[in-house]
Amino acid sequence: MVNEQPTGPPVHPDDTTLLTAIAEVWAQVDPPPVDLVDGVLAAIAAEDLEFELLTLVETDGALAGVRHAAPEDGPDTGAWMLEYEGPDVRIYVRFTRIEDRTRLDGWVVPVKPLSVQLRGDGQAEPLESEIDEFGRFEFPSVAAGLSRLTFVDPARGSKPRVTPPFWI
Amino acid sequence: MSELPTETPSVWEASARLFERWRAGEQGALDDLVRLLSPMLWQVVRASRLDPSTAEDVVQTTWLTLVRSGDSITEPRAVAGWLTTTARREAWRVSRASGRQQPTDDEAIARRLPDEPAPEGQVVLDDDNARLWGCLGKLPERCQRLLRIVAAEARPDYSAIATELGMPVGSIGPTRGRCLDKLRRELAQAGGF
Repeated sequence: MVNEQPTGPPVHPDDTTLLTAIAEVWAQVDPPPVDLVDGVLAAIAAEDLEFELLTLVETDGALAGVRHAAPEDGPDTGAWMLEYEGPDVRIYVRFTRIEDRTRLDGWVVPVKPLSVQLRGDGQAEPLESEIDEFGRFEFPSVAAGLSRLTFVDPARGSKPRVTPPFWI
Repeated sequence: MSELPTETPSVWEASARLFERWRAGEQGALDDLVRLLSPMLWQVVRASRLDPSTAEDVVQTTWLTLVRSGDSITEPRAVAGWLTTTARREAWRVSRASGRQQPTDDEAIARRLPDEPAPEGQVVLDDDNARLWGCLGKLPERCQRLLRIVAAEARPDYSAIATELGMPVGSIGPTRGRCLDKLRRELAQAGGF
């Protein structure tokens, strides 16, 4: 026992001393993750952006997690999908290649009246489309290259939602 | 300020000054405020028995709420209290929404730590802290959570804690006192503090 010394710690510590000690012991037993602060700072930095970055959550099985939407030596005909997620929306994008042409279509859950733009290396001007009443949109023919989709809500003035770049 | 005059008034003071500088347009001051108060918010949120990953999300959400609505805080000295209250309410909302109010496994594991030889890389408490930890573990679970929150926050919003712990509002102050008394008795039995 350590408290036999006359100069030992008080046996009846006051509230403040105890609470300070409790805070310290919890800080040791359950410390914050080392990246807690960095995560917060990154979230704040993203908040300051002019747009909301959607997160890629799924690619279809055939691609096994590869980010490229189009396999480099892929077949002349085929379909593949990407799925993105934002705070209030989930967006599915499907690519269908028919010989040298790629069709891009997709749908938005829940249905929102958004306008859609496709910007890409292969496009001189952004392609534009609208989400229809069923949440669907379509670009019948898109050029190959690094591209990204932007979803704009014209009515509510919320931030545009933008996918990370993907390959067509 | 006289409720709990721990060393934490300096935290309130420091956070008030950083908040003022951030509101005046100094972005780096917000980063410093995040560094200063995130560990405290972590303790507050974890006391709600959220798993670590969810707790991290709640701390992030709390800061984003400040960034979005910081204008509503007119008194800079209130910012630390505002953040802890926001964190606790968000933790409560999330745990209710997800039904995640069960004690997390890692908390149960952590609870046993001081009694067992600590494997390499695990928490090793010194004698005083190990004794305090052991004594805390003998308190009723609600006492443990209440003391953790009160200790982390230094200036708690008792009505909100009462809702969270399912205690009548008026009983929190006295409950805190009783929990501390129980802890003192355990400590005395364990050989003092």
